[in-house]
Amino acid sequence: MADRIVTVPEEIDQHIDVALLHTDTRFRFRERLRKDPLFLIGSIIVALSLFLAAFGPHIAPYDPTAATAEIAEPPPALSEWPGLLVGVIRGTNEAPPHWLGTDQSGLDVFSRVIAAPRTDITIALAGALLSLALGTIIGLVAGFYRNWATEIVMRVSDVLQAFPVFITAMLLVTLSGRSVINIVIALALVYTPIFVRLTRAEVMSQSARGYVEAARAAGNRPFMIALKHILPNSMVPALVQTSVTIGFAIILTAGLSFVGAGVRPPAPEWGLMISHGASQLILGEWWTSVFPGIAMTITVFGYAAIARAFEEWFR
Amino acid sequence: MIGRFVLKRLGIAFLQLIGVALVVFFMIRMLPADPVARLVGMNASKDAYEQSARALGVDQPLWQQLANFLGVFSNSGQKGLLQGNLGVSWVTNTPVLTEIRDVLPVTLEIVTYSLLLAFLIALPLGLASARKPGGIADRITLIWGMFAGAQPDFWWGLLFVFVFYFLLNVAPPPMGRIDPLLATPQAITGFMTIDTLLQGRFDAFLSALHHLMLPVLTLVYVVSGAIVKMVRTNTLRALQSDYILYARASGLPEAQVARYALRAALTPAITLVGIFYSVLLSAAVTIEVVFTMGGIGQYAVRSILAFDYPAIQGVVLVVAFVSLMIYLLLDIVHAYLDPRIRY
Repeated sequence: MADRIVTVPEEIDQHIDVALLHTDTRFRFRERLRKDPLFLIGSIIVALSLFLAAFGPHIAPYDPTAATAEIAEPPPALSEWPGLLVGVIRGTNEAPPHWLGTDQSGLDVFSRVIAAPRTDITIALAGALLSLALGTIIGLVAGFYRNWATEIVMRVSDVLQAFPVFITAMLLVTLSGRSVINIVIALALVYTPIFVRLTRAEVMSQSARGYVEAARAAGNRPFMIALKHILPNSMVPALVQTSVTIGFAIILTAGLSFVGAGVRPPAPEWGLMISHGASQLILGEWWTSVFPGIAMTITVFGYAAIARAFEEWFR
Repeated sequence: MIGRFVLKRLGIAFLQLIGVALVVFFMIRMLPADPVARLVGMNASKDAYEQSARALGVDQPLWQQLANFLGVFSNSGQKGLLQGNLGVSWVTNTPVLTEIRDVLPVTLEIVTYSLLLAFLIALPLGLASARKPGGIADRITLIWGMFAGAQPDFWWGLLFVFVFYFLLNVAPPPMGRIDPLLATPQAITGFMTIDTLLQGRFDAFLSALHHLMLPVLTLVYVVSGAIVKMVRTNTLRALQSDYILYARASGLPEAQVARYALRAALTPAITLVGIFYSVLLSAAVTIEVVFTMGGIGQYAVRSILAFDYPAIQGVVLVVAFVSLMIYLLLDIVHAYLDPRIRY
């Protein structure tokens, strides 16, 4: 707090410093990593998920969509893992071990689990960021210019919020074709109203602040005030929400494929894997469904931990 | 006063539902899907295709289809939405309203029990963790609450089936709402647990409870994290308020202060019920698929995958209607509980 001395200069653009004074300080990333273990874990998970989204399919020991000869093989016992690991390092195993077993079709579960973020994380990130972009723009305009046109936008947004999320997303994807791009669009559509509402509320409260009046008095054009001064100060609730939304989007993406309305098999995708193994689960063949679910839960946890840190900083 | 407020809100809800109806009507018709081809098959002759399109009414201009759907200037001879008719399912040829009346109570039963249980568990936990931040209760609930309901619910459902059915054998197999060997009781309310009791069928009642066990457990587990988190936040805010400071300064016993804070924290929790009710309605879709419950979620999945437009419109409208009515109901309760709110 005290390490930043705020002096208010006499210049014409003093409102900028007043604004900084109001919203306090920056998000201290390093300090938080050191002091908040949950944030540290969350950051590691998020970084790992991004790394796997970029390189997962390339570092997988087996081709995630090519069947092997071993069908429904259980994962090796934990006691065998050290030996197998030594074998991997020395290169003495005859074939890479199936760390997490293989599924009904002979696909390597481990390879598929680490190749899946390419689909899941990409879709979730694109969907969440698209709704963030759409939502903040619409919310900014609707909060800054309050007239009949923006009133209509808000009423439409109200109507869209009454739609059940999962059913609507499923409807959009199924009727427009089960492709990655259509899932991204569906996610963006169902999540945008939340961002509109959040941003609009924040823009409206920021508009009443002194720095906005100062900017106006200094003769700035209204649109530039909205864009350069109000928007940066109104982004925080939407940014917190983005992190939460990514988690929900991962689950929604997987849920869609679980009910048969998401990406098509044999794409490596967590929801598809869980659904593929579901019928075998009650026969005791648990590994096909359990591991992708664990990966998914850990990933969502990572994004939630980051959201929590943002939230605390904001408060 | 409250009467006028309710009337006004009902009016808004009605307009919103009309909006939902229009949006869903145009949305499914603007997307590049061909429901006729889906129904008659890819190899059907041109004649069969056209005959089917005529039978479904999709060969007519869009405005006429909308008129038939709404029931104004209709040329189909059927009643429309404004007369309380949701049309006939393209797949089963049964009125959509009849089908939804059968499946909706199934979902409402699961969701209602889950929400009740979740609040029973989450309220004391949230209060305890707010009263001693950093204490044991707070630490236990921290990570659980962090997920805020963002959990792969269908996966947890499967996991519970594996553990409680396959490994421990204390739960029934995830198929249906009641033991298939027992006669299904006649539907009165549609809530299996209530219907069986009304008809004095205690064995069927126990079986229904048994079959509700895992779906409810799954939803409770997923949603209570979010409730704990919000109750904690609300209570913390109440405890830091001026009137609690005043109550403490006046030397009131801690138990009484806690009661004041509880009341202040409970009122926003009423609003939460509404939010979580619609969250659960959405989550119930995948859960119903896991446990083959045959509720409105599973009905939605089936209708969407079959491109059954009247059924899709009906499901979206009914689910939106239920959410809006619950929000309205809770706003009324809220107004009674919170003396600051005057309409």
